[in-house]
Amino acid sequence: MRRMITICAAVTALASGAAVLQLKLAVQEKAEAVEALAQKIHEDREAIRVLEAEWAFLTTPRSLQEKSIRFLALMPPNAEQVVTDITRIPFRPKGVEAGEDPGVLLPTRAKPEEKPKNDKADEDKKGQSL
Amino acid sequence: MSATTAYQRLSLEGERKSALDVARNRLMVAVLLFFAAFAVMVIRTVELGLSTPETKQVAERQIVIPPVKVARADILDRNGEVLATNLETSSLYANPSEIKNPADVAARLVAVLPDLSLSEVEEKLSSDRKFVWLKRKLSPREKWEVNALGVPAFQFQREEERVYPHGRLAAHALGYVDVDGNGLGGVEYFFNDRLNDAGRTDEPIKLALDIRVQYALTDELEAAMSAHRAIGAAGIVMDVNSGEVIALASLPDYDPNDIRGVASQQRFNRATQGVYELGSTFKTFTFAAALDQGIATLEDGYDATKPLRIARFTIRDDHPKARYMSLPEIFAYSSNIGTAQMALDIGAERQQKFLRDLGFLDTTNLELAEVGSPIYPATWRKSSTMTISYGHGIAVSPVQLVNGIAAMVNGGRLIPATLTHNDDNWRQGQQVISQNTSRKIRQLLRLAVTKGTGGRSEAVGYRVGGKTGTAEKAVAGGYDRKALISSFVGVFPMDDPQYVVFALLDEPRGTKETFGYRSGGWVAAPVVKNVILRSAPLLGVAPKREDEGLYQQVALMIEED
Repeated sequence: MRRMITICAAVTALASGAAVLQLKLAVQEKAEAVEALAQKIHEDREAIRVLEAEWAFLTTPRSLQEKSIRFLALMPPNAEQVVTDITRIPFRPKGVEAGEDPGVLLPTRAKPEEKPKNDKADEDKKGQSL
Repeated sequence: MSATTAYQRLSLEGERKSALDVARNRLMVAVLLFFAAFAVMVIRTVELGLSTPETKQVAERQIVIPPVKVARADILDRNGEVLATNLETSSLYANPSEIKNPADVAARLVAVLPDLSLSEVEEKLSSDRKFVWLKRKLSPREKWEVNALGVPAFQFQREEERVYPHGRLAAHALGYVDVDGNGLGGVEYFFNDRLNDAGRTDEPIKLALDIRVQYALTDELEAAMSAHRAIGAAGIVMDVNSGEVIALASLPDYDPNDIRGVASQQRFNRATQGVYELGSTFKTFTFAAALDQGIATLEDGYDATKPLRIARFTIRDDHPKARYMSLPEIFAYSSNIGTAQMALDIGAERQQKFLRDLGFLDTTNLELAEVGSPIYPATWRKSSTMTISYGHGIAVSPVQLVNGIAAMVNGGRLIPATLTHNDDNWRQGQQVISQNTSRKIRQLLRLAVTKGTGGRSEAVGYRVGGKTGTAEKAVAGGYDRKALISSFVGVFPMDDPQYVVFALLDEPRGTKETFGYRSGGWVAAPVVKNVILRSAPLLGVAPKREDEGLYQQVALMIEED
């Protein structure tokens, strides 16, 4: 009986000691992870500053306009194209009536002669604006 | 428990205890001590494991994220777009005493940094000093290449660089900084202490500018400037109800990222620093003064049959009608003769007071150091009164004119112009003319576009009103007939004015498209029209069919011939 108690006590003590040690290590690990996370957040914030500056640089209106002229078949809208009343938007035509969607990209690949034509149209537009 | 009673019994029987019993008792003491120690450990274990839950421990810990430290606060536009920011960069220095063969190292360094001079680098690297700067503010690529050289004597110092991602856009409003990050121009200079305030570097300054509108304005001005081979151009877009400057452009401009070798001509801010005799756009104020003070009504008129002579001047009309003209006609056809006569009725004193109330005789309070002071005659003669009525003999900066026009159309409140985004700025407004007069001025401005000299500013759908201005440039001893300042000030939409758009071209030349004309109506009005067409959708002004009734009554008074 006494021996049983002794063994029991020893085992309990060992087990609980091990558990405490493990808990402590786990907590330490978590604390380190938190610290690393905080450092990562700091670094990300610094990176975000750089990326915001880069984004502003890449999306500056001048370069957007140049890219739009190069790649898109879009022109500045005129007043008639601006619909101010939602009820005036027509429904999308269906079936036979529906023409092929022309898309917004310049068909440069399909028709290589299309591009200079578009450039000229843009020059005409510029000429008007002067 | 049983061990304890056994021990007591044994000790009571004391006399006959054997050596075995003694040993046994001593062992029991040791066992008891161990039990006590284990008990303490068990209790402590349970306490550690249960009494303070892990979650609470973590929650109580303060998680500190190291703040991003910058030396100077950012500048944003009204939509939060970055206009100026501080980015980390590296500066290269070397310890020459660690370099054995300076000539070879210098040659390798110059190979990756071609803008350094070989002889200079060699001289620096051969010196006996322990520290020499080689190049400040390297780009990341340059830094990588220098590192790839593998010279241990090269070291980097962390530094910060001011970056303007939009380059030339809004350069005159933003200004620029020196190599140590102190503002030298624009809002960078004006708000230098605030931007460098160590406690507030994480709070950006928000400007009133809208970078998209700024680009529309700059782009159109650039196009007009090159088409008309002008020596300069300026433009402003202002919110009439808040006094906020939405766009401010001056050409030629510069890139604030690299201000080396920029001529003072490029740094000169024509929109705020330059003062110009702006010509007929000033008639708006003469009309406002006359209508507001009851000196004339829209039904009145003046005889504009022949040129007026006053002192040594002769006042002529650029678009002569040589007949009696009603007030709306005088405005729409921009008659100097009629306006000058009206100014005489107003009188020098009241004219001067009116212009002072509008801030034309003082320097503007805009948040820039580059602001020009107006030039006006020290002694206000009769001839001054007459010429000033149509914008000659008084020189003001474009931003002052735009501010004045905003007050004319917004219901009569003069709201100080501001470059910072400030929702409460309108509170500082002061009533300078009545609501009623403002309404009449709006009608006149609209009719000057639909029927008068400003026709080329008509942006269909956006109900533009405006006034042309063409003035000869003042030179020593008179005016240079060949050099013009052509401008146009437009307001839209005229039934509920939101924005003033101003464009000015300095010494434009006529082209085939303008039939050789170079007046404000021919060269500046189309700029305003294009800027409105491009920026109105961005600014949330919807195009709509015009309510003709607003102008009908006044329109009837304009006889077209």
